[in-house]
Amino acid sequence: MSFTIATTIDEALQALATGARPVAGGSDLVVGARHGKAPLPEHLVAIDRISELQCIDVTDLGVCIGAGVNHHIIEHHPLLSNAFAGLSDGSALVGSPSTRNVGTLGGNVMNSSPAMDTGSPLMVLGAEAELRSLRGSRRVGMADLWTGPGRHSAEADELCVAIHIAMPASRSNSAYLRLEYRRSMEIAVVGAAAAVTIADDGSVSAVRVALTAVAPTIIEVTGIGLGSVAEVAAAAAAAASEQARPISDVRASDKYRRHTVGVMARRAVEAAARRALGEPVSVPVNRAAGIGAAS
Amino acid sequence: MSTTTVPRFVRADGPDKVTGSGRYTADLTLTGTLVAKFKYAEVSHARIVRLDVSAARAIPGVFAVLTQDDVPDVRFGPFVQDRTLFARDVVRFEGEIVAAVAAIDVPTAQRALNAIVVEYAPLPVVNDIEEALASDSPLVHEGWSQYGAADVLVRERNDASFASIAKGDVERGLAEADTVVHSRYVADGCHAAPIEPRAVVAQWEGNKVTIWTTTQVPFDARAGVCETLEMPASRVRIIVPHLGGGFGGKCGFHYEAHVAALAKATKRPVRLVFSRREEFIAPDRRREGIVFDFETGVKADGTIVARKVWLAIDNGAYTADAGFFSQLAAMHALGPYQVPNALAEAHLVYTNHQPSGSVRAPTAPQTCWALESHTDEVAKAIGMDPVAFRIKNAVATGKEGPSGQVYDEIGLVDCIEAATARAGYGDDLPDDEAIGVAIGWWPSFSAASGAYVKIDGDGSGQIITGAQECGTGAVMTLRQLVADELGMQPEDFELVYQDTSAAPYDMGATGSQTLFNNGRAAIAAAGQIAEQLKQLAADMLEASPADIVLADGAASVAGTPSRSVPIAELAGIAAGGELLIGHGSGVPPTVQEVSGAMCIGDVGMTAWVAPQFSCHAVRVKLDKDTGVARVLHVSTAHDSGTIINRIGATGQVEGGVMMGIGQALTEGTRYNDEGQQRNAALLEYKLQTCADAPPIDIHFVEINTPNAGPRGAKGLAEAPNVATAAAIANAIAKIAGTPIRQLPMTAERVWETMNTEGSPA
Repeated sequence: MSFTIATTIDEALQALATGARPVAGGSDLVVGARHGKAPLPEHLVAIDRISELQCIDVTDLGVCIGAGVNHHIIEHHPLLSNAFAGLSDGSALVGSPSTRNVGTLGGNVMNSSPAMDTGSPLMVLGAEAELRSLRGSRRVGMADLWTGPGRHSAEADELCVAIHIAMPASRSNSAYLRLEYRRSMEIAVVGAAAAVTIADDGSVSAVRVALTAVAPTIIEVTGIGLGSVAEVAAAAAAAASEQARPISDVRASDKYRRHTVGVMARRAVEAAARRALGEPVSVPVNRAAGIGAAS
Repeated sequence: MSTTTVPRFVRADGPDKVTGSGRYTADLTLTGTLVAKFKYAEVSHARIVRLDVSAARAIPGVFAVLTQDDVPDVRFGPFVQDRTLFARDVVRFEGEIVAAVAAIDVPTAQRALNAIVVEYAPLPVVNDIEEALASDSPLVHEGWSQYGAADVLVRERNDASFASIAKGDVERGLAEADTVVHSRYVADGCHAAPIEPRAVVAQWEGNKVTIWTTTQVPFDARAGVCETLEMPASRVRIIVPHLGGGFGGKCGFHYEAHVAALAKATKRPVRLVFSRREEFIAPDRRREGIVFDFETGVKADGTIVARKVWLAIDNGAYTADAGFFSQLAAMHALGPYQVPNALAEAHLVYTNHQPSGSVRAPTAPQTCWALESHTDEVAKAIGMDPVAFRIKNAVATGKEGPSGQVYDEIGLVDCIEAATARAGYGDDLPDDEAIGVAIGWWPSFSAASGAYVKIDGDGSGQIITGAQECGTGAVMTLRQLVADELGMQPEDFELVYQDTSAAPYDMGATGSQTLFNNGRAAIAAAGQIAEQLKQLAADMLEASPADIVLADGAASVAGTPSRSVPIAELAGIAAGGELLIGHGSGVPPTVQEVSGAMCIGDVGMTAWVAPQFSCHAVRVKLDKDTGVARVLHVSTAHDSGTIINRIGATGQVEGGVMMGIGQALTEGTRYNDEGQQRNAALLEYKLQTCADAPPIDIHFVEINTPNAGPRGAKGLAEAPNVATAAAIANAIAKIAGTPIRQLPMTAERVWETMNTEGSPA
């Protein structure tokens, strides 16, 4: 058993190349070990003190979010919560205040849970994960990264160092909602994200919808026709319910998940459209929409 | 006696708990402490055909592996002696202990568990309450008729305790009613879920054992050790460090004897600390599932003329303290209403589930939920406002309740009026919101209880009490009572609890009885010291003891405040002579016998001393597309007699309401076809969080209650948990257009109900 504290990405990559596994906030790794999901790795390299992983770099082309940026920061970051509001919606719902202060975006992405709250927002925003190893660097889209529950296509020596998202077109925005039974320490029963562009005539000129916790990975909904916001929202709901492949478990039946993921998709399109038109819809939409909201 | 006028509450245990300096049982380490672990049945019903622990015993670092063969062959249980410390021949639920290991560390203990060989022959799993009552159901206890049991219990096959309450002629009453409403409801079981999992540390010195344990009831735990290990009480000492919550789940006797037996066998201290999963699976304390069938007959003017109830409670595999549940549930099912013709029949049914036991107001929240849902159905059927219907039929001062008890001064109608007015009942609301209203009741429990008070030479005092603090603040409030009695400040007193070898008996943190009974004891003990102080002051001030007043830390001559001596000075004098030591118990209040009702299986639950009443009015918003209900506001009114510690009392109501919201919406045990829990973890068993808490308005209806606790106080810890789920149910039913017939009313159940039974629009 060994525990290495890396202060640079290169130090972390060296450790990974010799078989260590990375740990940042530990909110998945440690909890998973305690619950017997997977034992703690024999060799760990701590990446939470690598300043290069903490940056949020904004250019005209887009944003680069360091893998070590935590959910609390993403929830409250002025640019992210405006231009990439769907991602902030997702981060704002993760765990509890303490989880959001230790849990990182990179950790959420590489944990690859089909119920991850930042997953469908990243997919509809067309995000790419930057994977780096001593052998080099590459970018992978979300659809290619996630291969199954808890599984991804990164090699064991690759570290996710950043998430890259292109700047949305004008009159575009995103939203993420989940079905939850309580407001904190919750996991998505189902969820849906939408990214929407509104044309000058008020109709939807582009839409992407992705779904959470209804398949082995986050999935993107296909074949949603364009039209008015109401038409697109209804089409998204129907397509989401039709394309979902949910399971039945102690949280919900497949039938209920199939129905509610459509409701979430419809509401995500509606909220994203309102934001795209400049209406203030606060983060997270779950509270703004009254889902799980007490006031 | 003077009264502390500023409402304040300084919790003696607060700083330790908040800063982390307080010690809980799991924090204790004694030299050479071994780790205890249990081997559980895992299957719900099977005959043990082979149990071989020899390989486990042979592992280096394993100091003992015990089975039922290694302890006295004693069957125990407070109502039915249906249980042994370890499984003997048959296992009857998944959390039954088959063997216990003491080892040098956790991995070694785990290896020992894995090395224990158990082979089972499956027996049919009794997994359904109603099917268990069928005459051809498999028996959970083949030998039930041979067990020792309390004489009053009426038992038959899987029915461990049948109780009935009959008054008037229910069939004639139903026949004479203008409208009869028939309802069926099902409540799932749920958990106390204290945040601190159980822990026990035991150490022997000679033939005496000291056990540090997470119990709410130290003397009960001691009695369990004495019974199962066949020891006199004088050789068993129970100490409770800080307790991280209990909610009833830590009542009773749990594992103290197992750990003591391990410590004896190994001649080493042994510590057991439960995992969260064990906390869900193993204890014989979880809230019982119940199936209900109601019929209520009413006149067109809204007068209840008859009520007939049948209910069956999931006892689980062993009876634990649930023997009185059937009669208690029968009382709650008839409810705090004037019912001239009543019949309630209640069964306590063995299944192969985890045993039920007292969790905060046992049987009451789920029975109130069912009855009050039914009550709204009745009101709706005759087109009457449900609040007006309740006011018309509720028990009131001088009126007779369903068991024939005629009530002294009580404030139920005041509670209904206050809670609904403060909730804005009747105001216009959006069509996805509604206010639901429910009423509840709960007894106070009269019991023997003792305390000592002493004041040392420096004028600082100690209260040495048999009472147990489980987080409610009731023990903390003793400082206020004693200080008021002696004209001192609460901070002048340290509390010494809980140590069965240091303090006199108290029932423990159970039945909302701590302040009700131990408050009386502490006041009596302080009263003895007050007499001593008055005599000392009288001698010094040359006055009659009867003229001495104790106030503001001094003893003064009444009417002549200049003739005064500090109590600390008197304490210094006493330290050189007759010491300032008081002991108290007092006479527990008694309850009138009831007449007018016939009770079978009477365990004394039909007449309540100082009964408490409550009304909750809850505003709910329902997301009709998903069935997710959100509680927006809770308005509560409670008649719990005089409120002595308002801040503490407020905390009890807030906690009870939050527990009630959880029971209403998210907390319920799900079983698989084999009788095993499917959601024995905090992610899938969803407690409410701080982020879910709505504004809670708290109002106390303080009635001058005769025959109650100190200063006219009734109990309070359990009552706020009774009516919340019911009020939420009635709000949801208004919005959904139909009641939800299963508890918890999960989002999916609400959605299913709205989409299968057909809501209006």
